[in-house]
Amino acid sequence: MQNKQNTIVNFDNISMQFPGVLANDNISLEIKEGEVFALVGENGAGKSTLMNILYGLHTPTDGQVHVKGERIEKFKPMEAIEKGVGMVHQHFMLVPSFSVAQNIVLSREPRKSKVLYDLKEANRKVKELSEDYGLMVNPKDIVGEISVGLQQRVEILKTLYRGADILILDEPTAVLTPQETEELFGVIRRIVKEKNMTVIIITHKLYEVMEISDRVGVMRQGKLVGVEETKNVNERTLASMMVGREVLFDSIEKTGEPGEVLVEAEDLFVADNRGIMAVNGINLKVRKGEVLGIAAIEGNGQSELIEAITGMRPIEKGQFSISGQNAVGMSPREVRKLGLAHIPEDRIATGAAMPSTITDNIIIGKERSEEYSVKGIHLKKSSIARYAKDLFEKFDLRGAGVDTEVGSLSGGNMQKVVVAREFSLDTPVLIIAQPTRGVDVGAIEFIHKQIIEKRNSGCAILLVSADLDEVFRLSDRIITLYEGKVTGEFEAGQIDKMEISYYMTGDRSADTGGEAFE
Amino acid sequence: MNKIIASLKNNRTYLISLALSIFVALFIGGMLMLVTGFNPFEGYAAMIKGAFGSIRVFGNTITKMLTLCLTGLAMTVSAKAGLFNVGGEGQLFLGGLAATVTGIYLQGVSPLIAVPLAFISAAVVGGFYAWIPAVLKVKLKVSEVITTIMLNSVAIYVCTYLINSGGPLATQDYGVLGGSDAVPVAFRFSQIIPTSNLSTALFYSGFIAFFCWYLMQKTSIGLEMKVTGENERFSFFAGLPKDKIMIWSMVASGVICGLAGMFLVYGYQFRFQGSISNEFYYDGMLLAMIMNYNPIGIILMSSFFAIIDIGASAMEFSTGISGEISDIIFAIIIFLMAAQKGITKYITDRSTQKKAREKIRREGQ
Repeated sequence: MQNKQNTIVNFDNISMQFPGVLANDNISLEIKEGEVFALVGENGAGKSTLMNILYGLHTPTDGQVHVKGERIEKFKPMEAIEKGVGMVHQHFMLVPSFSVAQNIVLSREPRKSKVLYDLKEANRKVKELSEDYGLMVNPKDIVGEISVGLQQRVEILKTLYRGADILILDEPTAVLTPQETEELFGVIRRIVKEKNMTVIIITHKLYEVMEISDRVGVMRQGKLVGVEETKNVNERTLASMMVGREVLFDSIEKTGEPGEVLVEAEDLFVADNRGIMAVNGINLKVRKGEVLGIAAIEGNGQSELIEAITGMRPIEKGQFSISGQNAVGMSPREVRKLGLAHIPEDRIATGAAMPSTITDNIIIGKERSEEYSVKGIHLKKSSIARYAKDLFEKFDLRGAGVDTEVGSLSGGNMQKVVVAREFSLDTPVLIIAQPTRGVDVGAIEFIHKQIIEKRNSGCAILLVSADLDEVFRLSDRIITLYEGKVTGEFEAGQIDKMEISYYMTGDRSADTGGEAFE
Repeated sequence: MNKIIASLKNNRTYLISLALSIFVALFIGGMLMLVTGFNPFEGYAAMIKGAFGSIRVFGNTITKMLTLCLTGLAMTVSAKAGLFNVGGEGQLFLGGLAATVTGIYLQGVSPLIAVPLAFISAAVVGGFYAWIPAVLKVKLKVSEVITTIMLNSVAIYVCTYLINSGGPLATQDYGVLGGSDAVPVAFRFSQIIPTSNLSTALFYSGFIAFFCWYLMQKTSIGLEMKVTGENERFSFFAGLPKDKIMIWSMVASGVICGLAGMFLVYGYQFRFQGSISNEFYYDGMLLAMIMNYNPIGIILMSSFFAIIDIGASAMEFSTGISGEISDIIFAIIIFLMAAQKGITKYITDRSTQKKAREKIRREGQ
C-alpha cells in the first residue's frame, strides 16, 4: 500500500483514429501501482479502445504508453503479457471443451521431457495458483459446464498464470448475478491487498465504481473528461460527467394535445441473446402526438424492448398492441404493416446496407409501391431518382450525391439517410432508438427538429436514448428503466437530470424519492 | 454514358488491380515458357491463333465463353442475395442428365413439344437441387457452402454410376465408351458454325444473361436481393421477405446451372458423359467472384478466360508448350484478385492513420 504513488502505467497523449471515428482523443492518464482504477463512460466513449491499446490489440495513431517505466514498442498482446498486463474481455476467450486447468495453462503448458503435455503437473499448478490467490476452482471441471462466474474466474487465473500483475477487466459484471458480482469484488480486494496487484475495471454501473475503486476516470466521446479520487465523488457527479453536456440547444416548440393510445405494452417480458430476461414485466403506453422517452444506462433492457416492439425479437410473455391491434409474435414485416417505422440503435449493423447507394437505401420499403415500380416488378428509376433527390435536400444530406455509397458517409449523414427513409414512410407510430449517437452537433439539431415535427403532426413516438439531454429535450413523458424494470415515470419538467440518474442507476443507498414506481 | 464514366471512376482501384493482375499472370506465364525453353511471344501468338485462327475455333471459343458466363451468372444470382452456391457443378450435372433423359424418352415426339419439356426438366431438376441447401440454410442455419459441396459429390457420382458401362442409362451403341444414349438428332440445337461447338445455345444463353442482368439491375426484386445479400439484418429490419428472397435466388442459380448442363449436351456433346463438365462451374464461380459479381464484367472476363483456355490447347498442339499454362494464368489472376481487397485495405488503413497523425500534430502546434 505504501507504493501507491508509483505510476505503473502511463498513457501519454494517446489518440486512436478508426475509419470515421476518433475513438481516443489525446488521452493522458496515469495508473498507480496497487490501486483499483475504474474507467467509466457510455458505450462508444472509448474506454475499451484505450484498454485494448494497453493490451496490444490496437496500435495507437499517436502517443506513447509506458508500463513500469518501459515504453511499449510493438503493441502486440505478447509484449503486453510479458510486461505483466492481463486482460479479461467481456466475451470470454476460453475453449469450452477443455478442462479448467487446460484452459489456464494454454500456450504455456507444463511439459515432460520438453515434449509431452504434463496434465498432472498442470492440474497441480492450477490448484496451487487458485489456493494462493483464493480463487477457488476445480482444475478438472470442463469449462463449458461451469457457471459464467466461474468461467470469469478461470479467465482471471489464466492471466495470473502468465504472471500478470496489472489486470484489466472489461465490463466484468455485465454477465454476473449480484451474488457473483459480490464474490468478484471480494477477489479484486484480496488480490490488490495481498498481492499488490493493480486492477483496471471498465464499467458503466456507477454504484460499482463507488464500491470497488480507489480512483475513477470518466470518458466521454473519446475524451478523458476527469480523473477523481472515488471518495471525493458520488454517483450524481459521475453521472453528470458521463452523460452531461452543456445544453446546446434552445427548446423546440411543441404543439397539440396527446390523443388516443397507439402503442400499448402490458407486462412485457423479453429475453436477451443468452436467454436471460432483459425486460422484466414492462408496462407502457404511447399516445398520439406525444414523445415517450426512455432514460436508461446501456444494458438495462431498453435495446431488447425496442427490438421486441418492432418484431425483431420474440416477446416471451405479455401483451402488446399497435393502434389497438395485437402485435405479439409478428415479424418486422407484419409489424410495419400495422403502421410503424423504426430507427434502430445501430445504423451500421441494422439500419442500412452499407455498400448500397443513398438512393437504394432510401427507396427500400417503397420499392414495390405503384409510385416507384411498374406492377411491383420494373423499377421506375427516374421517379426513384427524383424521390431520392427530394429527400436528399429535405433531410439536408451533405457532401456527395445520391449515388454515393452509404458506407462512405459520415455518421451524421448516414443517420440522416435512415431517418429520411423511416420518416418518409408516414406511419402513425415511430420507434426511435439512439437517433443521434455519434452524430455531429448540426445533424443532432436537425434530427431533433424532425422528430418534434412528427410529434406535432400527431405521431406516437417512443424514444430511447443514452443521451439524457436528448431525452429531456424531446420527451413529453419520461420513464426510467433499470435491469429491465420501470423504476420511475415523470412528466417533462417534473424532474432534473441529476435526480433522474438515481432512477437510472438503480441507486440503492438513497431510496428517498417517493415517485419510484414498482 | 456519364454513368459509365462515374462507375469507372468509383471502381478505379479495382480496375487497376485487375489490369495489373492480368499483366502479372501473363508475365509469369511467359517466364514459365521461357524457362522451359520456349519463346513466350510465339507461345502467346499460338494461343491467340488457337482461339481466333479459324471460324471453327472461334465458334469453340464463343461456346466456352457461354458456359463460363452462365455459370458465373448463376453464382452471381445467389451471391447477390448472400448465399454462396458452390453446388453449381452438381446442379449442372443433374440438369444435363434430366434434359438428356427427357430427350431420349421422347424420341419420335415433335421437337416443338420435346425440346421445351427438356428445358423444363433441366430447370426443375437444377432448381430443386439448389432448393435443398437453400432451405437448410434459411430454416436451420446449415452452412450452404458445406451442403452444396457435399451435394456436388452426390450428384456427380450418381450421374457417373447411371451412365457408366453397366449402369441403367449406359448406351449400347457400338464403340462408345460410357455415356448415355445420344439425344435424337431432331432435338439437338442447330449449329451456327458448322463443325464447331457453337449452336443456337448462343441465343438461349444470351437470353438468360440478359434476364440475369435485367433482374439484378432493373427490378424491385433485384434491389431487394442486393440489400439482403449486403446486410441480412437490415433486410429483416426493413420488413423484406428475406427468407423467400434467399431461397428463390438460390433456386434461380440452380435453374441456370441446370440449363447450362442441358446446353452442353444439346449444343455439342449430344450424349450425357461423365466428362460433361470439367469443373466448368468452379471456373465460372471464381470468375464471378473476381469480377465482384458485376454481370457485364463477368461477360467480358469469361471471354478472356475462354480465349486463354481454348487457345492453350491449340498452343500445345502447335508449339508443344503445355496447355496447363492456362490453369496457371487463371490461378495467378484469381490469387492476386483474392488478395486485392486485403492489399487495398492495408494501404488505405495506413494512409488513414498517417493523415490522422498529421492532423493531430498540426493541431498540437
